[in-house]
Amino acid sequence: MKIIFKDTAKIMMFLLVAIIIAGGTTSCKSKKKLAREKAAAEYAKKVEQSKNDLTAILNGSTSWSLDEQDERLSVIKSYNIDDVEVTELISKVEAKLSMDRAEAQRKAEEERLQREEEKRRKDEAQKYSTINDKLKSIALAKSVDASNAQIRLTLKEFATPDVPVLIIISKAGGFNDYDRPTTISKFLNYLKDKQQYRFMVDAVKRDGLGKITELELIKK
Amino acid sequence: MKLSYIWIVGILLGLSVSVVAQDELSPERKQAVDSLALEKVRDLSKYISIIGSKDTPWSEANRVIDRAEELFMEGSEIGVSSITKTEISYYNVRKYFERLMRLNYKKVEIEWYNIEYMSDLKKQPDGTYVGVITIFQKFKGYDTEGRLVYQDTTKKDITVFVKRKETQIGGRLIGFWDVLLGDMRVKETSK
Repeated sequence: MKIIFKDTAKIMMFLLVAIIIAGGTTSCKSKKKLAREKAAAEYAKKVEQSKNDLTAILNGSTSWSLDEQDERLSVIKSYNIDDVEVTELISKVEAKLSMDRAEAQRKAEEERLQREEEKRRKDEAQKYSTINDKLKSIALAKSVDASNAQIRLTLKEFATPDVPVLIIISKAGGFNDYDRPTTISKFLNYLKDKQQYRFMVDAVKRDGLGKITELELIKK
Repeated sequence: MKLSYIWIVGILLGLSVSVVAQDELSPERKQAVDSLALEKVRDLSKYISIIGSKDTPWSEANRVIDRAEELFMEGSEIGVSSITKTEISYYNVRKYFERLMRLNYKKVEIEWYNIEYMSDLKKQPDGTYVGVITIFQKFKGYDTEGRLVYQDTTKKDITVFVKRKETQIGGRLIGFWDVLLGDMRVKETSK
Protein backbone atom coordinates (compact mmCIF):
# COMPACT_ATOMS: atom_id res chain seq x y z
CA MET A 1 0.00 0.00 0.00
CA LYS A 2 2.84 2.29 1.01
CA ILE A 3 4.70 1.42 -2.16
CA ILE A 4 1.68 2.26 -4.28
CA PHE A 5 1.33 5.60 -2.53
CA LYS A 6 5.04 6.40 -3.03
CA ASP A 7 4.81 5.60 -6.75
CA THR A 8 1.71 7.71 -7.17
CA ALA A 9 3.43 10.65 -5.45
CA LYS A 10 6.44 10.27 -7.75
CA ILE A 11 4.21 10.16 -10.79
CA MET A 12 2.32 13.21 -9.60
CA MET A 13 5.58 15.08 -9.01
CA PHE A 14 6.84 14.06 -12.45
CA LEU A 15 3.61 15.25 -14.06
CA LEU A 16 3.79 18.52 -12.16
CA VAL A 17 7.35 19.16 -13.29
CA ALA A 18 6.40 18.24 -16.87
CA ILE A 19 3.43 20.61 -16.78
CA ILE A 20 5.57 23.42 -15.38
CA ILE A 21 8.28 22.91 -18.03
CA ALA A 22 5.73 22.61 -20.84
CA GLY A 23 3.86 25.66 -19.59
CA GLY A 24 7.06 27.70 -19.35
CA THR A 25 8.06 26.89 -22.92
CA THR A 26 4.62 27.77 -24.30
CA SER A 27 4.64 31.09 -22.40
CA CYS A 28 8.08 32.00 -23.77
CA LYS A 29 6.99 31.16 -27.30
CA SER A 30 3.87 33.30 -26.92
CA LYS A 31 5.86 36.32 -25.63
CA LYS A 32 8.17 36.24 -28.66
CA LYS A 33 5.18 36.01 -30.98
CA LEU A 34 3.57 38.94 -29.26
CA ALA A 35 6.77 40.96 -29.55
CA ARG A 36 7.00 40.14 -33.27
CA GLU A 37 3.40 41.11 -33.78
CA LYS A 38 3.92 44.31 -31.84
CA ALA A 39 7.01 45.18 -33.92
CA ALA A 40 5.14 44.43 -37.14
CA ALA A 41 2.23 46.61 -36.04
CA GLU A 42 4.61 49.43 -35.13
CA TYR A 43 6.37 49.15 -38.49
CA ALA A 44 3.04 49.16 -40.35
CA LYS A 45 1.99 52.22 -38.37
CA LYS A 46 5.32 53.94 -39.19
CA VAL A 47 4.88 53.14 -42.91
CA GLU A 48 1.32 54.47 -42.85
CA GLN A 49 2.34 57.64 -41.01
CA SER A 50 5.25 58.16 -43.41
CA LYS A 51 2.92 57.80 -46.42
CA ASN A 52 0.47 60.26 -44.86
CA ASP A 53 3.20 62.80 -44.08
CA LEU A 54 4.84 62.51 -47.50
CA THR A 55 1.47 62.88 -49.26
CA ALA A 56 0.64 65.91 -47.13
CA ILE A 57 3.99 67.51 -48.00
CA LEU A 58 3.39 66.77 -51.68
CA ASN A 59 -0.09 68.30 -51.57
CA GLY A 60 1.16 71.28 -49.61
CA SER A 61 -1.43 70.61 -46.93
CA THR A 62 0.91 70.75 -43.92
CA SER A 63 1.54 73.77 -41.76
CA TRP A 64 5.24 72.87 -41.50
CA SER A 65 7.91 75.27 -42.58
CA LEU A 66 10.27 74.26 -45.39
CA ASP A 67 12.94 73.34 -42.78
CA GLU A 68 10.43 71.25 -40.82
CA GLN A 69 9.40 69.44 -44.02
CA ASP A 70 13.07 68.74 -44.80
CA GLU A 71 13.56 67.42 -41.27
CA ARG A 72 10.53 65.14 -41.53
CA LEU A 73 11.77 63.80 -44.87
CA SER A 74 15.18 63.01 -43.32
CA VAL A 75 13.53 61.14 -40.45
CA ILE A 76 11.37 59.12 -42.86
CA LYS A 77 14.42 58.32 -45.00
CA SER A 78 16.27 57.14 -41.86
CA TYR A 79 13.57 54.47 -41.33
CA ASN A 80 14.81 52.75 -44.53
CA ILE A 81 11.27 51.61 -45.24
CA ASP A 82 11.17 48.84 -47.82
CA ASP A 83 7.98 49.88 -49.60
CA VAL A 84 7.63 50.87 -53.27
CA GLU A 85 5.00 53.53 -52.57
CA VAL A 86 7.11 55.17 -49.85
CA THR A 87 10.19 55.13 -52.09
CA GLU A 88 8.25 56.85 -54.89
CA LEU A 89 6.77 59.39 -52.50
CA ILE A 90 10.23 60.17 -51.10
CA SER A 91 11.61 60.88 -54.54
CA LYS A 92 8.61 63.10 -55.43
CA VAL A 93 8.88 64.99 -52.13
CA GLU A 94 12.62 65.49 -52.65
CA ALA A 95 11.91 67.04 -56.06
CA LYS A 96 9.13 69.22 -54.64
CA LEU A 97 11.17 70.44 -51.68
CA SER A 98 14.06 71.24 -53.99
CA MET A 99 11.72 73.35 -56.17
CA ASP A 100 10.16 74.98 -53.11
CA ARG A 101 13.62 75.81 -51.79
CA ALA A 102 14.58 77.40 -55.13
CA GLU A 103 11.30 79.37 -55.18
CA ALA A 104 11.84 80.52 -51.59
CA GLN A 105 15.35 81.67 -52.50
CA ARG A 106 13.99 83.50 -55.56
CA LYS A 107 11.35 85.22 -53.41
CA ALA A 108 13.90 86.15 -50.76
CA GLU A 109 16.12 87.63 -53.48
CA GLU A 110 13.16 89.51 -54.96
CA GLU A 111 12.29 90.91 -51.55
CA ARG A 112 15.90 91.91 -50.96
CA LEU A 113 15.96 93.75 -54.30
CA GLN A 114 12.63 95.41 -53.47
CA ARG A 115 13.99 96.56 -50.12
CA GLU A 116 17.10 97.89 -51.84
CA GLU A 117 14.96 99.69 -54.46
CA GLU A 118 12.78 101.14 -51.72
CA LYS A 119 15.87 102.35 -49.87
CA ARG A 120 17.28 103.82 -53.08
CA ARG A 121 14.00 105.63 -53.70
CA LYS A 122 13.95 106.99 -50.17
CA ASP A 123 17.56 108.13 -50.50
CA GLU A 124 16.75 109.73 -53.88
CA ALA A 125 13.65 111.40 -52.44
CA GLN A 126 15.79 112.76 -49.64
CA LYS A 127 18.40 113.90 -52.15
CA TYR A 128 15.80 115.75 -54.22
CA SER A 129 13.51 116.77 -51.37
CA THR A 130 14.07 120.51 -51.99
CA ILE A 131 13.02 120.39 -55.64
CA ASN A 132 10.16 117.98 -54.85
CA ASP A 133 8.88 120.38 -52.19
CA LYS A 134 9.01 123.32 -54.61
CA LEU A 135 7.05 121.41 -57.26
CA LYS A 136 4.51 120.31 -54.67
CA SER A 137 4.04 123.86 -53.40
CA ILE A 138 3.04 125.00 -56.92
CA ALA A 139 0.37 122.30 -57.12
CA LEU A 140 -0.95 122.96 -53.64
CA ALA A 141 -0.87 126.79 -53.74
CA LYS A 142 -4.10 128.35 -52.46
CA SER A 143 -4.66 130.63 -55.48
CA VAL A 144 -3.57 131.06 -59.09
CA ASP A 145 -1.53 134.13 -58.07
CA ALA A 146 0.25 132.22 -55.29
CA SER A 147 0.94 129.39 -57.69
CA ASN A 148 2.31 131.80 -60.32
CA ALA A 149 4.61 133.35 -57.71
CA GLN A 150 5.94 129.88 -56.86
CA ILE A 151 6.43 129.14 -60.56
CA ARG A 152 8.53 132.30 -60.99
CA LEU A 153 10.68 131.32 -58.00
CA THR A 154 11.11 127.73 -59.13
CA LEU A 155 12.01 128.70 -62.69
CA LYS A 156 15.10 130.45 -61.28
CA GLU A 157 16.49 127.00 -60.45
CA PHE A 158 16.44 126.07 -64.15
CA ALA A 159 18.81 127.12 -66.93
CA THR A 160 15.91 128.15 -69.21
CA PRO A 161 12.09 127.80 -69.21
CA ASP A 162 12.55 125.28 -72.04
CA VAL A 163 14.58 122.78 -70.01
CA PRO A 164 13.28 119.31 -70.95
CA VAL A 165 11.18 117.39 -68.45
CA LEU A 166 10.96 113.62 -68.87
CA ILE A 167 8.24 111.71 -67.07
CA ILE A 168 8.74 108.00 -66.50
CA ILE A 169 5.42 106.13 -66.51
CA SER A 170 6.88 102.64 -66.05
CA LYS A 171 10.22 101.03 -65.25
CA ALA A 172 9.05 97.47 -65.91
CA GLY A 173 11.18 94.89 -67.72
CA GLY A 174 14.33 96.99 -67.61
CA PHE A 175 12.88 99.69 -69.88
CA ASN A 176 11.93 103.22 -69.00
CA ASP A 177 8.62 104.13 -70.63
CA TYR A 178 8.08 107.86 -70.85
CA ASP A 179 5.18 110.22 -71.37
CA ARG A 180 5.56 112.79 -74.19
CA PRO A 181 8.50 115.03 -73.13
CA THR A 182 7.57 118.56 -72.08
CA THR A 183 9.34 121.72 -70.90
CA ILE A 184 9.73 122.92 -67.32
CA SER A 185 7.61 126.01 -68.02
CA LYS A 186 4.72 123.91 -69.34
CA PHE A 187 5.15 121.34 -66.57
CA LEU A 188 5.00 123.89 -63.76
CA ASN A 189 1.82 125.36 -65.26
CA TYR A 190 0.45 121.83 -65.56
CA LEU A 191 0.97 121.36 -61.81
CA LYS A 192 -0.85 124.64 -61.22
CA ASP A 193 -3.79 123.51 -63.39
CA LYS A 194 -4.00 120.00 -61.99
CA GLN A 195 -3.52 121.08 -58.35
CA GLN A 196 -1.86 117.71 -57.75
CA TYR A 197 1.74 116.57 -57.50
CA ARG A 198 1.88 112.83 -58.12
CA PHE A 199 5.52 112.58 -59.13
CA MET A 200 8.95 112.13 -57.63
CA VAL A 201 12.19 113.54 -58.96
CA ASP A 202 14.21 110.63 -60.36
CA ALA A 203 17.21 112.45 -61.82
CA VAL A 204 18.52 115.98 -62.26
CA LYS A 205 21.22 117.30 -64.59
CA ARG A 206 22.87 120.62 -63.86
CA ASP A 207 25.16 122.98 -65.74
CA GLY A 208 28.39 124.56 -64.45
CA LEU A 209 26.37 127.26 -62.67
CA GLY A 210 24.33 124.69 -60.81
CA LYS A 211 21.18 125.41 -62.84
CA ILE A 212 19.03 122.44 -63.82
CA THR A 213 19.32 121.51 -67.50
CA GLU A 214 17.23 118.30 -67.46
CA LEU A 215 14.65 116.98 -65.03
CA GLU A 216 13.47 113.40 -64.91
CA LEU A 217 10.39 112.55 -62.88
CA ILE A 218 8.66 109.30 -62.11
CA LYS A 219 4.88 108.93 -61.74
CA LYS A 220 3.80 107.77 -58.28
CA MET B 1 36.20 86.36 -91.58
CA LYS B 2 33.57 83.79 -90.59
CA LEU B 3 33.89 84.84 -86.96
CA SER B 4 33.18 88.49 -87.78
CA TYR B 5 30.02 87.45 -89.70
CA ILE B 6 28.86 85.56 -86.62
CA TRP B 7 29.51 88.64 -84.47
CA ILE B 8 27.53 90.88 -86.87
CA VAL B 9 24.60 88.45 -86.99
CA GLY B 10 24.69 88.19 -83.19
CA ILE B 11 24.64 91.95 -82.74
CA LEU B 12 21.78 92.35 -85.26
CA LEU B 13 19.81 89.62 -83.51
CA GLY B 14 20.40 91.30 -80.15
CA LEU B 15 19.21 94.63 -81.53
CA SER B 16 16.09 93.13 -83.08
CA VAL B 17 15.23 91.31 -79.84
CA SER B 18 15.64 94.62 -77.98
CA VAL B 19 13.36 96.46 -80.46
CA VAL B 20 10.70 93.72 -80.27
CA ALA B 21 10.93 93.72 -76.47
CA GLN B 22 10.31 97.47 -76.39
CA ASP B 23 7.36 97.31 -78.80
CA GLU B 24 5.69 94.25 -77.29
CA LEU B 25 4.05 95.35 -74.07
CA SER B 26 4.11 93.27 -70.91
CA PRO B 27 0.89 93.47 -68.85
CA GLU B 28 2.67 95.80 -66.41
CA ARG B 29 3.77 98.21 -69.15
CA LYS B 30 0.37 97.99 -70.87
CA GLN B 31 -1.25 99.00 -67.58
CA ALA B 32 1.05 102.02 -67.37
CA VAL B 33 0.06 103.05 -70.92
CA ASP B 34 -3.65 102.52 -70.13
CA SER B 35 -3.30 104.74 -67.06
CA LEU B 36 -1.42 107.36 -69.06
CA ALA B 37 -4.28 107.61 -71.60
CA LEU B 38 -6.86 107.88 -68.80
CA GLU B 39 -4.75 110.59 -67.16
CA LYS B 40 -4.79 112.60 -70.41
CA VAL B 41 -8.60 112.49 -70.38
CA ARG B 42 -8.58 113.60 -66.73
CA ASP B 43 -6.24 116.44 -67.75
CA LEU B 44 -8.77 117.44 -70.41
CA SER B 45 -11.52 117.34 -67.80
CA LYS B 46 -9.53 119.76 -65.61
CA TYR B 47 -8.76 122.04 -68.57
CA ILE B 48 -12.44 122.16 -69.61
CA SER B 49 -13.52 123.14 -66.13
CA ILE B 50 -10.82 125.89 -66.02
CA ILE B 51 -11.70 127.23 -69.48
CA GLY B 52 -15.43 127.18 -68.72
CA SER B 53 -15.08 128.84 -65.31
CA LYS B 54 -15.90 132.56 -65.31
CA ASP B 55 -13.37 133.00 -62.48
CA THR B 56 -10.47 132.12 -64.78
CA PRO B 57 -8.60 135.22 -66.03
CA TRP B 58 -8.69 135.62 -69.82
CA SER B 59 -4.91 135.11 -70.24
CA GLU B 60 -4.98 131.96 -68.13
CA ALA B 61 -7.94 130.57 -70.09
CA ASN B 62 -6.09 131.16 -73.36
CA ARG B 63 -2.97 129.45 -72.04
CA VAL B 64 -5.05 126.49 -70.93
CA ILE B 65 -6.79 126.34 -74.34
CA ASP B 66 -3.33 125.95 -75.92
CA ARG B 67 -2.51 123.11 -73.52
CA ALA B 68 -5.90 121.45 -74.07
CA GLU B 69 -5.53 121.69 -77.84
CA GLU B 70 -2.18 119.87 -77.62
CA LEU B 71 -4.00 116.85 -76.23
CA PHE B 72 -5.87 116.31 -79.51
CA MET B 73 -4.98 114.96 -82.93
CA GLU B 74 -5.16 117.56 -85.64
CA GLY B 75 -8.63 117.79 -87.18
CA SER B 76 -10.45 116.27 -84.20
CA GLU B 77 -13.96 117.41 -83.40
CA ILE B 78 -15.96 117.78 -80.22
CA GLY B 79 -19.73 117.27 -80.09
CA VAL B 80 -22.06 119.73 -78.36
CA SER B 81 -25.62 118.83 -77.40
CA SER B 82 -28.44 120.45 -75.50
CA ILE B 83 -31.63 119.21 -73.89
CA THR B 84 -33.50 121.90 -75.85
CA LYS B 85 -32.28 120.68 -79.27
CA THR B 86 -32.26 117.27 -80.86
CA GLU B 87 -29.32 117.82 -83.20
CA ILE B 88 -25.69 117.57 -82.12
CA SER B 89 -23.22 120.16 -83.40
CA TYR B 90 -19.58 119.28 -83.97
CA TYR B 91 -16.82 121.86 -83.70
CA ASN B 92 -13.10 121.65 -84.21
CA VAL B 93 -11.24 121.54 -80.92
CA ARG B 94 -10.04 125.17 -80.83
CA LYS B 95 -13.46 126.51 -81.80
CA TYR B 96 -15.10 124.35 -79.09
CA PHE B 97 -12.82 125.71 -76.36
CA GLU B 98 -13.27 129.32 -77.51
CA ARG B 99 -17.06 128.89 -77.44
CA LEU B 100 -16.80 127.28 -74.02
CA MET B 101 -14.83 130.27 -72.73
CA ARG B 102 -17.50 132.70 -74.00
CA LEU B 103 -20.64 130.89 -72.85
CA ASN B 104 -23.37 133.32 -71.91
CA TYR B 105 -23.70 132.52 -68.22
CA LYS B 106 -22.52 134.39 -65.16
CA LYS B 107 -21.13 131.21 -63.67
CA VAL B 108 -20.40 127.83 -65.23
CA GLU B 109 -19.65 124.54 -63.48
CA ILE B 110 -18.44 121.56 -65.47
CA GLU B 111 -17.67 118.27 -63.85
CA TRP B 112 -16.59 115.00 -65.46
CA TYR B 113 -17.10 111.70 -63.71
CA ASN B 114 -17.11 107.94 -64.38
CA ILE B 115 -14.12 108.28 -66.70
CA GLU B 116 -13.39 104.74 -67.87
CA TYR B 117 -12.50 102.59 -70.84
CA MET B 118 -15.45 101.56 -72.98
CA SER B 119 -13.12 99.75 -75.34
CA ASP B 120 -9.60 98.78 -74.23
CA LEU B 121 -6.53 99.98 -76.09
CA LYS B 122 -5.90 97.51 -78.92
CA LYS B 123 -2.87 97.37 -81.18
CA GLN B 124 -3.56 98.22 -84.83
CA PRO B 125 -1.50 96.92 -87.77
CA ASP B 126 0.45 100.21 -87.91
CA GLY B 127 1.49 99.82 -84.24
CA THR B 128 -0.89 102.46 -82.89
CA TYR B 129 -3.00 101.46 -79.92
CA VAL B 130 -6.60 102.63 -80.23
CA GLY B 131 -9.31 102.63 -77.57
CA VAL B 132 -12.43 104.47 -76.49
CA ILE B 133 -12.90 106.18 -73.14
CA THR B 134 -16.37 107.12 -71.92
CA ILE B 135 -17.03 110.10 -69.67
CA PHE B 136 -20.10 111.67 -68.12
CA GLN B 137 -20.22 115.48 -68.08
CA LYS B 138 -22.43 117.46 -65.72
CA PHE B 139 -22.89 121.02 -66.93
CA LYS B 140 -24.48 123.80 -64.86
CA GLY B 141 -25.02 127.40 -66.01
CA TYR B 142 -26.07 130.19 -63.60
CA ASP B 143 -27.46 133.68 -64.33
CA THR B 144 -26.39 136.98 -62.75
CA GLU B 145 -28.72 136.38 -59.81
CA GLY B 146 -26.97 133.08 -59.14
CA ARG B 147 -29.95 131.02 -60.30
CA LEU B 148 -29.33 127.72 -62.03
CA VAL B 149 -30.77 128.37 -65.49
CA TYR B 150 -29.49 125.38 -67.41
CA GLN B 151 -28.13 121.97 -66.55
CA ASP B 152 -27.61 118.72 -68.36
CA THR B 153 -25.67 115.48 -68.15
CA THR B 154 -23.97 114.20 -71.28
CA LYS B 155 -22.36 110.88 -71.96
CA LYS B 156 -19.45 111.25 -74.36
CA ASP B 157 -17.08 108.81 -76.05
CA ILE B 158 -13.50 109.89 -76.72
CA THR B 159 -11.30 107.94 -79.11
CA VAL B 160 -7.74 107.59 -77.82
CA PHE B 161 -4.67 106.96 -79.97
CA VAL B 162 -1.40 105.86 -78.36
CA LYS B 163 1.77 105.47 -80.38
CA ARG B 164 5.36 104.80 -79.40
CA LYS B 165 7.71 107.48 -80.70
CA GLU B 166 11.32 108.47 -80.21
CA THR B 167 13.08 111.78 -79.72
CA GLN B 168 16.61 112.98 -78.94
CA ILE B 169 17.03 114.76 -75.62
CA GLY B 170 20.45 115.77 -74.33
CA GLY B 171 22.09 113.36 -76.77
CA ARG B 172 19.92 110.48 -75.55
CA LEU B 173 17.31 108.67 -77.60
CA ILE B 174 14.11 108.71 -75.56
CA GLY B 175 11.27 106.31 -76.39
CA PHE B 176 7.95 107.71 -75.28
CA TRP B 177 4.24 106.98 -75.56
CA ASP B 178 2.41 109.74 -77.38
CA VAL B 179 -1.22 109.85 -76.33
CA LEU B 180 -3.54 111.85 -78.57
CA LEU B 181 -7.28 112.24 -78.27
CA GLY B 182 -9.50 111.99 -81.33
CA ASP B 183 -13.14 112.94 -81.79
CA MET B 184 -15.32 113.39 -78.73
CA ARG B 185 -18.78 112.10 -79.70
CA VAL B 186 -22.01 112.79 -77.80
CA LYS B 187 -23.82 109.54 -76.97
CA GLU B 188 -26.66 110.67 -74.69
CA THR B 189 -27.92 113.90 -73.18
CA SER B 190 -30.33 114.13 -70.29
CA LYS B 191 -31.46 116.65 -67.74
